[in-house]
This record gives sequence, C-alpha cells and structure tokens, in this order.
Amino acid sequence: MSELMTPDAFRTALENAIKGNSANKSPFSVAWAEGKLTRAHLARWAENHFHYVGPFAEYLAYVYARMPADYVEAKDFLLSNMYEEEIGGDRHTDLLIRFAEACGTTAQRVKDPDNMSPTTRCLQSWCYAVAMREDPIVAVAALVVGLESQVPSIYRRQTPTLRGRYGFTDEEVEFFDLHIVSDEIHGERGFQIVLEHATTPELQQRCLKICEIGAQMRLLYTTALYHDYVEADLPLRELDLAA
Amino acid sequence: MARVVFHRSGEVFADDVADGSNLVVRAGIKRFPYPHLRYGCGMGKCGKCACLVVSGAMHLPEPNWKETKVLGERIGGGYRLACQLWISHDIELAQD
Repeated sequence: MSELMTPDAFRTALENAIKGNSANKSPFSVAWAEGKLTRAHLARWAENHFHYVGPFAEYLAYVYARMPADYVEAKDFLLSNMYEEEIGGDRHTDLLIRFAEACGTTAQRVKDPDNMSPTTRCLQSWCYAVAMREDPIVAVAALVVGLESQVPSIYRRQTPTLRGRYGFTDEEVEFFDLHIVSDEIHGERGFQIVLEHATTPELQQRCLKICEIGAQMRLLYTTALYHDYVEADLPLRELDLAA
Repeated sequence: MARVVFHRSGEVFADDVADGSNLVVRAGIKRFPYPHLRYGCGMGKCGKCACLVVSGAMHLPEPNWKETKVLGERIGGGYRLACQLWISHDIELAQD
C-alpha cells in the first residue's frame, strides 16, 4: 500500500508521469519543430485538433457538475476555464480555424467530424469518458494536468517555427500564442485542485495513473497524425528518430 | 528571482517571483499580484492588464504585435500588457 505523499512530492510525481510520455517526443511534433511539415500537413492537424480541443469546455462541464458542492474553489476554477475557452476573449476554436484557413483548408472541413482520424475520435471519446465517469479529482488530473498543462511547453517550441520557418503571420498563429498564457493558468489551477483534494494514497495513485494515461493518449494522437498524414512524404529516417 | 513592485490605487504591493513569471498567470492562480492586478482575457486582446512600467523597462523585450495593436500610442508613454510579459528582472509597475 502506498503512503500519502506530501504536496511537493506528489506534484513532482505528477510531472514525472507526464514527462515520460510527453507529446513533444512524437514524430509529428519533432517534424513540426524542425520545420519539415507542409501547410497541407498542418491543415490535417488543424482538422483533427479541432475535434480534440473543441469540446474542452464540454469535458470540463461534466466534471464541474459532478465536483462536490463544497469544493467551491475547484468549481470556480473549472468555471473560469470554461469561460476562458469560449467567451473570455476570442473563442479559441475560432482562432484554430483562422490558422487552418491559412494552411489552405476551410472552416467547413475543420468542423466536419468525418475529417478526423480514428485515433483523434478515440482521444475525444476518452476525454468524454473520463469527464463523465471518473472521480472528478481524477478527471481534473487527466484532462487538465495530464493534457492541458502540456500545451505551453509544446507551443513554446512550435510557435516560433510557425513564424520563422513556415512563414505564417502573427494573426495566423494567434491560436498558439494565447495558449501559452491561458493553458499555463489552466494547468496550474489543475495542479492546485489535484494537490489539495487528492488526500488519500489511493486517490493520489489514481491521479498519477490517469495523468500517465492522459499523456499517453496525447502522444498516441500526435503519433497517429504522423502515420496518417505525414509518413508517406517524410519517413522517420529523415527525422533522425528511432522507429 | 525577480522583485516586483506593484502600485495600484495609491497602495504599493511587493513580492518576489520566480524567473520567467507571467503576472497574469500568477493572478489567474491567485498568487501575487492577485487580487490587486486588473486583468481580463489573458490573450493580449482586452487591454485590461495594461501597466505603466515605472522602472525596469530596459530588461523587457520590445513590445510584441499584440501590445502594439492594443496599446498604440500608450507604448510611447511606457505602458505594456502584463499578460505578454515574462518577468526575469526586478520591475516596478503601476495600474491606473
């Protein structure tokens, strides 16, 4: 039986659970950071990404509804995250569509669920399942800590490349800029909720496990994007990656 | 660590923050300068987090495209958007 970890030890364990499966390691992310993707590849990414991040406020809404009423601060954090995703400023998905259009696809194609890959559908379904079925604290660990908190580090690597190597304008890549700030806030809020409310060894272990699975799911999703849309044009050997 | 001194409504608040801190991110998770810093969207659109840089401006990067768009001529008067700044040196800021 595991012992209850201190908040510092638990936070480190959560971070390590994510690190081992960081989506930064996927061939799609590596190719992106190296400037080796085409705009057509990025268009396929946007058409898939929309269906993963588009319902994010819906995922959180299920968690919000099931979060105990006396976890007032946790509920408020979730509500703020939902508001910021949708109507705090520009709707995040509108900015994703702007980027997609700059890549040569259309809003209609982006919104059409038939254009997502089976693996993206799998990630979306997993997010809904976790939000609806897991203990709400475990669900926050999965969705916010395991998935959302990774975003700033991913986009910090990718955004300069979008401007410098791919030649996008500032307005075209605004989707990525805003996530460096907003997801940093959201990720930290997620950590705070989990650290405060995972108060038994059993709950801590469940949070760690689902955080690891969440990071695996995102890695699986980005890796599939490479195999589905990029591999034929850009073999692994050109990325200097082990298969 | 960087020392942040923040002026608002005739009061002065100060604390140390880790290198690379964004004050809007900190306020968003209820850490200093919360609850004193006024901010909104966190994406460089609404301009609510605009601050006058009283000292330490020399350590900041040039204003980015969002600051230029939102602040316009106020940039010349020393204003910056807190949500667009990652602080790594001592700085003194003021909000109206």
